[in-house]
Amino acid sequence: MEDLIEQLTRGNVTEVKVVLATVVLALAVYQLLLAAVAYGWLRLPFLEAGTASWTHRASGDAIVVLTILVATACLSYYGFEEGGAHAVFGTVLLGVLALKVLVVRVGGRLSRLLPLLGVSVLALFGLTWLTSAGDFLGVG
Amino acid sequence: MRRPRQSLQMLGSLLVALAIAAIAIAVVTAHFGPTSSAKLEAREDIVKERVEAREERAEEREEAREERLESRDGSGGSGPG
Repeated sequence: MEDLIEQLTRGNVTEVKVVLATVVLALAVYQLLLAAVAYGWLRLPFLEAGTASWTHRASGDAIVVLTILVATACLSYYGFEEGGAHAVFGTVLLGVLALKVLVVRVGGRLSRLLPLLGVSVLALFGLTWLTSAGDFLGVG
Repeated sequence: MRRPRQSLQMLGSLLVALAIAAIAIAVVTAHFGPTSSAKLEAREDIVKERVEAREERAEEREEAREERLESRDGSGGSGPG
């Protein structure tokens, strides 16, 4: 697996991981805006709630795929032991993200938890990014 | 202001997502800057060293495991039976 990741990134594992993680974080912030429109907390004259909700799902699917790619590269190349706070935040993030996807699929009363889960996911994306990519880019 | 058609809204909101991703890639890549061939070679060396060290550790672990198994087998033979 390590060799595959190294071949795919041409030896620039960290750089590729930083770029992908930054894309994920930027899209996660956009997700917050879309969710605010979808829930009617923010009214934009050019975007309906239903459309915002649809884009939130589509963009969210892309985020999940990218997150799994980054996590796979991270775990198989660097391992878990040396991760420290980054590893903890990343693990919690994956758990909360999985829970959010599950709640979206199940629906019902649990749907009331979605805003809380969404904000938690964004916060965890931020913390996970800050403790790895942010460090690498000299932020935080 | 009249809202645009739903398909246009979808297309627009997806294009915004793509633009955000493109801007993030451009900003981070610009932050890395151009990489000289010397730096690339140094990086490749570091990666090679890391892989070699990992392989060595794996070999050491394997040897230690075999030694443990051998010593266990040896002590197992001297027991009552």
